[in-house]
Amino acid sequence: MPEMDMVVRRNDYSLSPEQEEVRDLFADFFRSEVPGTRVRAAEPLGFDARLWKQLAGMGAISMGLPESQGGAGSSMVDLTLVAEQFGRTLAPVPLIETVVAARLLSRAGAADLLDQVGAGERILAPALLPDDGTPQLVAAGAVATDAIVLSGDKLVLVSLPAPPPHVINQGSAPLAWWDFREGERTVLSSGARARAIYEDAVKEWKLLTAAALAGCGAVATRMAVDYAKVRMAFGQPIGTFQAVSNALVDSAIAVEGAKHITWKAAWFYENEPEAEPQLVPMAFAYACEAATRAVTTGVHVHGGTGFMLETDITLYFLRVKAWSVLAGDPKSELLAIADALFAEKPVPVLA
Amino acid sequence: MNFAPFEIDAATRAFWREVREFCDTEVTPELREQIWIEDSYHDQALYKKMGERGWIMGRWPRERGGAGLTALQDKILHQELDQAEAPVFCWGLTTLILPAVLQFGSPEIQAEVVSRVAAGDARFFLGYTEPDSGSDMAAAKIRAVRDGDEWVINGQKMFNTGGQFATHHFLLARSDPKQKHRGLTMFLVPLDTPGIELRPIKTISGERTNFVFYSDVRLPDRYRLGAEGDGWNVVNGPLSAEHGVAADLSGLGEISGIGAGFTKRLFDLVHRVAEYERSIGRADDPLVRLRLAEAWLYAEASRNSPAMLGRVIASESFQKYSADLIDLVGPAAVVPRGGPGVVAEGWVEREHRFAQGTAIYGGTTDIFRNMIAQHVLGLPRPPKPAVASTN
Repeated sequence: MPEMDMVVRRNDYSLSPEQEEVRDLFADFFRSEVPGTRVRAAEPLGFDARLWKQLAGMGAISMGLPESQGGAGSSMVDLTLVAEQFGRTLAPVPLIETVVAARLLSRAGAADLLDQVGAGERILAPALLPDDGTPQLVAAGAVATDAIVLSGDKLVLVSLPAPPPHVINQGSAPLAWWDFREGERTVLSSGARARAIYEDAVKEWKLLTAAALAGCGAVATRMAVDYAKVRMAFGQPIGTFQAVSNALVDSAIAVEGAKHITWKAAWFYENEPEAEPQLVPMAFAYACEAATRAVTTGVHVHGGTGFMLETDITLYFLRVKAWSVLAGDPKSELLAIADALFAEKPVPVLA
Repeated sequence: MNFAPFEIDAATRAFWREVREFCDTEVTPELREQIWIEDSYHDQALYKKMGERGWIMGRWPRERGGAGLTALQDKILHQELDQAEAPVFCWGLTTLILPAVLQFGSPEIQAEVVSRVAAGDARFFLGYTEPDSGSDMAAAKIRAVRDGDEWVINGQKMFNTGGQFATHHFLLARSDPKQKHRGLTMFLVPLDTPGIELRPIKTISGERTNFVFYSDVRLPDRYRLGAEGDGWNVVNGPLSAEHGVAADLSGLGEISGIGAGFTKRLFDLVHRVAEYERSIGRADDPLVRLRLAEAWLYAEASRNSPAMLGRVIASESFQKYSADLIDLVGPAAVVPRGGPGVVAEGWVEREHRFAQGTAIYGGTTDIFRNMIAQHVLGLPRPPKPAVASTN
């Protein structure tokens, strides 16, 4: 009898006390430090330099680095929990991009920049699409002096004396066009290794962004639920109407699922990256869809109020779409999922 | 958080081997074929053999009729029997209801049924739904009138699935027509009591369900579960378990409650269709890849949605993608098993029909949305409409 397939997996989504501690620390920090007014004050660039320094002081930028390089050796699971809290308040800092870029540099052996990066003195922007010879609109590109791009089979650090001009955008993200042929180019790695390092960085960005989007969607849903409890129409709170309440339930289903699938994807990425390669694309595709649904419904449930720029739900609405599209069409993840489905391997058992 | 494989010790590995051998020997292709064709999804001979091994109440010690299994061994047992498509329908409902019998049943009824449950001789089915009440199950009308040491029961139940295989009916009856929830009493009714008649109802899934008619049924009071008028409280445990109100956070189970079973079926269907598409050389067709990827994504998303939330997305994803995959496969997908040119042994054809019921039974997805709105999101309850005047 074949015993190779005698495998039954745990299915445990509970957080350890240490994980709860990380989550709560950042939840408290972002909640107390980043009210909607601070998010608005950072518009349109989407960068709050003081907040960035505060996060550097907490070790948030470097926590995903090995302890030998000034980090805390945090796992992708921990970083996912942090990103979720970051997303909940729309903190106007390039945390995800810089954390991912720092880990990339560490893996590429370019550790000399990491002290500056961890201290918040140097912002790095990973180009989320490979260089195709034309300029690219780069996330965090308007506050970074360095971008990292896969150019052919080379992983290249492109450095400029100052960030390129900010491009005004719907999500108040610090986007800028980068022409990778300008500036000083340092090859970090080449060949298959360069591609592997780059692909891991993009996966990490997608995982952390999925977590941020799930957090964003959860808060948008909570805002709309709170509004539906108190907004009266026809003599009763609108939340009593099933057309309203059931739409909010669908948001909750989507964002709760997105949170859990992201946790699970992060766990596999960290512990058994070869085992379930479809999970990172699934988490990202689903979180984009879930957050889009949650903010769309959230604005809608607020009625005309949700359409007014001064209502906080609009902050969430405007950012979700920008975050979702920074690495290209999120539906392209379906192609990666199909690759895993049709890869030569035994049919997986739901266990 | 942990998704690592469990360490399998020697005893568990030996047990696992035993279960696989059992499935290979007892759940034969012939039996599976017969089950499919006859739409009878419980094989009593097989169930008795499980009972002989103590597997029905596997976690119980041997002296109570169990097998003293660890939680992990019990999970493996369920997983293997499920994978083998073992037709043991009564297992799930009987073990769902049993805790209420143990908590609320008289000593006499416990002496009568509990050891027989473990042996496979006593099998329960749910008696909630009636022709005029489904999701609003507390509106049950079937009447139980006390007469000395007996109850006289008259009325009918509908959509009570598995009755043709069962020995006892977990009956929700109205003992006081003046009250709604407080006017309900629960019973565990032996089906051989005179005056009970089952009539089959055919469904689009192929599964048979039942009418259960009660005509002047005289039931001794010892078959009452809990106090008179306390039926809503008695039924609460099995109902919450069925609804998957609490996510299983033990790491051994699924967090998606009753959605887990539907998700597993969608997951299997996606992989069956992927194999089929590969076999006809369409694995590189971008449309095939996109549609299967999306269906798989929704199966995984359902699996990651906790408790009541999981049930809604699991049922609705199963409905949507079982229909989409028929479109993908083409006209041969609607040919049932045994027909000329049938695809994937008829699974695509069958699952599309089967999926529809999953959004209805156990409380519809609409009712679940209301429960989530009130109990998870904390939204106010919809006001009760004024009774419509008849003019």
